[in-house]
Amino acid sequence: MRAPAIRNVCLFACCVAAIGAMAEAQTPKAAPAPSGFAGQVLPVVTKYCVGCHGPEKPKGGVNLARFANEAAALKDLKTWEKVLEVVKSGEMPPDDRPQPSPADSTRLTQHLESLISKASCRVAQDPGRVTLRRLNREEYNNTIRDLIGIDFRPADDFPSDDVGYGFDNIGDVLTLPPLLMEKYLAAAEAIASQAILADDEPRGPTRRFKAESIGKPGTGHVEGELGFWLMSSNAEVGVDRAFTRSGNYLLRARAFGQQAGKDLPRLEFLIDGRPARGFEVKAEQHAPAVYEAKLKIKMPVSRFAAAFTNDAWYPDLPDKDHRDRNLAIDWIEVVGPIYSLPNDLPESHKKILFKKPTPLNRREVAREVLQKFATRAFRRPVLATELDRLVGLVDLALKNGDRFERGIQVAMQAVLVSPHFLFRVELDNRSNVPKTLTDLELASRLSYFLWSSMPDDDLLDLATKGQLRTGKNLDLQVARMLKDPKSKEFVENFAGQWLQTRNLKLASPDRGRFDKFDEPLRQAMATEVDQFFAAIVADDRPISDFLHADYTFVNERLAKHYGIPGVTGEKFRRVKLTDPSRGGVVTMASTLTVTSNPTRTSPVKRGKWILEEILGTPPPPPPPNVADLPDDDDRDGNGKPKAPATTIRQRLEKHRANPNCASCHARMDPLGFSLENFDAIGSWRDKDGPFPVDASGVLPDGKTFTGPVELKKVLLTKLKPFSKCLTEKLMTYALGRGLEYPDRCVVEKVADSVLAGGGRFSTLVSAIVHSEPFQKRGVEGSLAP
Amino acid sequence: MNPMSRRTILRGLGTAIALPWLEAMAPATLRAASAAGGSPASPRRMAFFYVPNGVHMPDWTPGGPAGSLGAKLPEILQPLAPFKDDLLVLTGLTQDGAFAHGDGGGDHARSLASFLTGTHPLKTAGLGIKAGVSVDQVAAMKLGNATRFPSLELGIDRGAQAGNCDSGYSCAYSSNISWRSESTPMAKEINPQLVFERLFAGQLSNETAEVKARRDAYRKSVLDFALEDARQLRGKLGQVDRQKVDEYLTSVRELETRLARVDKSVALDLKGVRRPTGIPRENPDHIRLMFDVLALAFQTDSTRIATFVYANEGSTKSYKFIGVPEGHHDLSHHGKDTDKLAKIKKINLYHMEQFAYFLDKLRSIREGDGNVLDHSMIVYGSGISDGDRHNHDDLPILVAGKGGGTLKGGRHLVYPKNTPLNNLYVSMLDRVGAPMPKLGDSSGPLPRLDG
Repeated sequence: MRAPAIRNVCLFACCVAAIGAMAEAQTPKAAPAPSGFAGQVLPVVTKYCVGCHGPEKPKGGVNLARFANEAAALKDLKTWEKVLEVVKSGEMPPDDRPQPSPADSTRLTQHLESLISKASCRVAQDPGRVTLRRLNREEYNNTIRDLIGIDFRPADDFPSDDVGYGFDNIGDVLTLPPLLMEKYLAAAEAIASQAILADDEPRGPTRRFKAESIGKPGTGHVEGELGFWLMSSNAEVGVDRAFTRSGNYLLRARAFGQQAGKDLPRLEFLIDGRPARGFEVKAEQHAPAVYEAKLKIKMPVSRFAAAFTNDAWYPDLPDKDHRDRNLAIDWIEVVGPIYSLPNDLPESHKKILFKKPTPLNRREVAREVLQKFATRAFRRPVLATELDRLVGLVDLALKNGDRFERGIQVAMQAVLVSPHFLFRVELDNRSNVPKTLTDLELASRLSYFLWSSMPDDDLLDLATKGQLRTGKNLDLQVARMLKDPKSKEFVENFAGQWLQTRNLKLASPDRGRFDKFDEPLRQAMATEVDQFFAAIVADDRPISDFLHADYTFVNERLAKHYGIPGVTGEKFRRVKLTDPSRGGVVTMASTLTVTSNPTRTSPVKRGKWILEEILGTPPPPPPPNVADLPDDDDRDGNGKPKAPATTIRQRLEKHRANPNCASCHARMDPLGFSLENFDAIGSWRDKDGPFPVDASGVLPDGKTFTGPVELKKVLLTKLKPFSKCLTEKLMTYALGRGLEYPDRCVVEKVADSVLAGGGRFSTLVSAIVHSEPFQKRGVEGSLAP
Repeated sequence: MNPMSRRTILRGLGTAIALPWLEAMAPATLRAASAAGGSPASPRRMAFFYVPNGVHMPDWTPGGPAGSLGAKLPEILQPLAPFKDDLLVLTGLTQDGAFAHGDGGGDHARSLASFLTGTHPLKTAGLGIKAGVSVDQVAAMKLGNATRFPSLELGIDRGAQAGNCDSGYSCAYSSNISWRSESTPMAKEINPQLVFERLFAGQLSNETAEVKARRDAYRKSVLDFALEDARQLRGKLGQVDRQKVDEYLTSVRELETRLARVDKSVALDLKGVRRPTGIPRENPDHIRLMFDVLALAFQTDSTRIATFVYANEGSTKSYKFIGVPEGHHDLSHHGKDTDKLAKIKKINLYHMEQFAYFLDKLRSIREGDGNVLDHSMIVYGSGISDGDRHNHDDLPILVAGKGGGTLKGGRHLVYPKNTPLNNLYVSMLDRVGAPMPKLGDSSGPLPRLDG
């Protein structure tokens, strides 16, 4: 029998309003209210809202008394969308006003949702309008890589992009403060000078590797504030694929030594393990030095390493500080192959300056070169007037007596700081009806959606010819793009933000309690979720795999963490899972860790995460003035974690005794409780401190279940809400804007079509790509709230 | 006194940049004033330091008789004992914009976005973000021309990388304290190396004057090209997109102005200076290195205005190195638990110790007839009072420095309940020479700061 959650009548009833998926079965059947707007919505509104929002001096200018029936409501859906939003979020009614019962709010919000969704399908579709988007950091890096052919991530030094609607590619919050403009200008100069040679100074691409990120565990440890890698016995730090082709290279290492005995610490540069140059390291900790060697490299070789080769230990020396000889390395650097004019040119130079000018045709060649470059950079044919001005910059350089190549560099810089490069421009057609995007605009939407980068030549050619939408071309392109290795950007950027696993970088589990947590484990957790998502995309698996799957990806470290036998080495591989408590994103170490506190699990955060990211029914924020969970987990006098006196469940149950909290926590906690067998870093446990884990839960609809296996079974019965939730997230990411009420209809349709088509991931992507919001651009003001 | 040659030497010790004893070094403006026979007026600086999640108020508020800091400073303020005479503790100030005003949860996001703006940020996860112009930017726009950088925005944490930051508010609110316009937050710089290189780019490069002049000319041409593109584009766009291009235009123009500006900052001989290389791993080193760089920026008169955010609002950072492995935010909901309160106090104290380190740096830089701290107004505080209650009245606020003789320290001033925090800013703007009759929700200047 159902034990309706509405028994938990509480003052903060609005919480329950947002139940959505979980509440489907919850509408009381015992007392059927009259159906329709008049029966379900009006009575609640009249009772709780019209007091302030009536005809007399309506608060905020919102008069809800003027809607006599559904027909009237349909004429002003914007107002009802707002009502839905504020009731769901708990903003309305204000705390000091009478609150509707949970059953009433549920009726209100459910009915409004279906009303708006249905209505938005009937009215002429408003495809919405994305705000002019500048490239975010990832997009900038990728675009430069694809435009120039050098992957050197200049945007890593840019300030962070702000996040809106859960993603960092939202036009509205991608602002451009002066600091960023300054970085754009500096990056443009750096890119131009890396891409083409313009003077006699030889140079080459520089790659620097922090020793702490390449040092193998067990061969050293991080020393000092700035992260030197200290080797206390003979060892090396190095990188594979350091050399890309034959040529001259500069190799460097920044290091200091700790001295013992008569010899100085010895630093040896190794190429594929063979000594190439050695140094005696005089530099000490207070003043590290850079050691450098110029070497001619003949392929095929791959690895460059900096090694410590003369470890020594004199335990009997009287001077305690000079008994141990060690070597510490800050970073190693590979510069090269080193290029020089006129004949030893980097690929990027040859590609951009695909024609060599003679003194007589410099302007013509400049024009040809810049036409090609700017067209690719602007992602549309460059205009003649734009080209004139660019060639003017080359003229300026020539007039100054600079080389032709210098002029091209300056013109490149201008292209790279132009708004046409930095922003993804979509123009209006100045009419009152939504505009179908041009093929070129669509090509950019596609490539930034699936690659986080500019369109490649195939896509651009097709669009330039106006054939992107011809026949099956669009579907063929989407399929091709999803198969392209560049789709890993989509995986990392979308999945990392949707599942919040990007926050793994910030997770700081308390090592006193979770001593197994270290960098390799953190890294392995992140890799698993990326590879899992990538496999669903690559194999076109059903989206239900996200909820539960019998496979995942592990290396030795993660396999050990999960208790999977027989996996050795650092390399990740696909494994078949025999234990059904793993599999799917809900029970991955990564998601379990980012939803935990440093010292303990948080069933509340885990429950909230499932409601937000899986079921699409986020709970409203807690009311102010409510204390958080008493933590009850201090350390004893020796700094050792003290065993808690109560379980988290007991503490949460105390918390739920507060009616202010009960209704929301009745939704969040049971979901989180069922994951209590996973500790704060996602490894399995049968006990929480001295207490056996109790992973049972009761859903608002009265259904009881225990543990992750049953949780996942429950989630698998919620495929429709999950499909909607994933569609909403993916559309937000694809469009770069928050979703508005006219989008509800599209979300509904896309989600349905995905399930109807067997839930394949490609169906989802394709349905979004073909949807009106993705294909069109609305009229200004149509979406203004 | 003869102004010293522009070349001075900075020596580094350890990882941090140590401030050298710079006897006769003084900003160009000061030297010019001296040379002209006028009375030397040192530039006045202002900076704002922000700590998230509130403060344990019982150990912050001085308890002695009105006006006095008491014989012994409250525990959290203890690290400031050496600066007692330069210290004003202000009680009773409110940042009203941070309250819900019917917008429900989201106190953390609102606290940071309102702290220097005195506005109630618009509740949105993206569309139409809106706070207000912050006090530092008001000053920067007015005074920025005097220095190479109108202002610096520094911090320790990047903006959030994913997810919802706070109850339906865009992460722009919980990560940004400084707002150039009501819709343009000024992103923080978090890498001391990049800040250092930006500040001293001119001295770090070894190009000749001729090469530099030519490069600057090309830069100007490049930016002119960009301006022209933007102007043409602007005309073809709708209203919302046009705002984005306007933001772009503003930034390009500011950059042009800066490039054209004659560098009046004090040159440093960087030989022998151990430069920051990247972001230190440990929080105390990171903070101190940032403070070193900021002190250098003040010392060289590269800027006079700065903000510094210890951690984004609502930060869940743990402070294991001081015996607090729990997340800061989780702890701040202490439910009056004594253990938790003790840990919050530890975090508060830790932040304050770093602040004392910074003040000490400023005080060690001699300038004119005093030191840089004498000529500064450094605000330190939080937009939340009690982290458990999320209240935004009775905020923890203090000001350090003598403000060029316009502040009388050594006192605890108690204001009537709900006095706008922005009144303090109005008074400060007046003192740095960027007067503004009203800022955000201010109701007038804050009285009694000068005694």
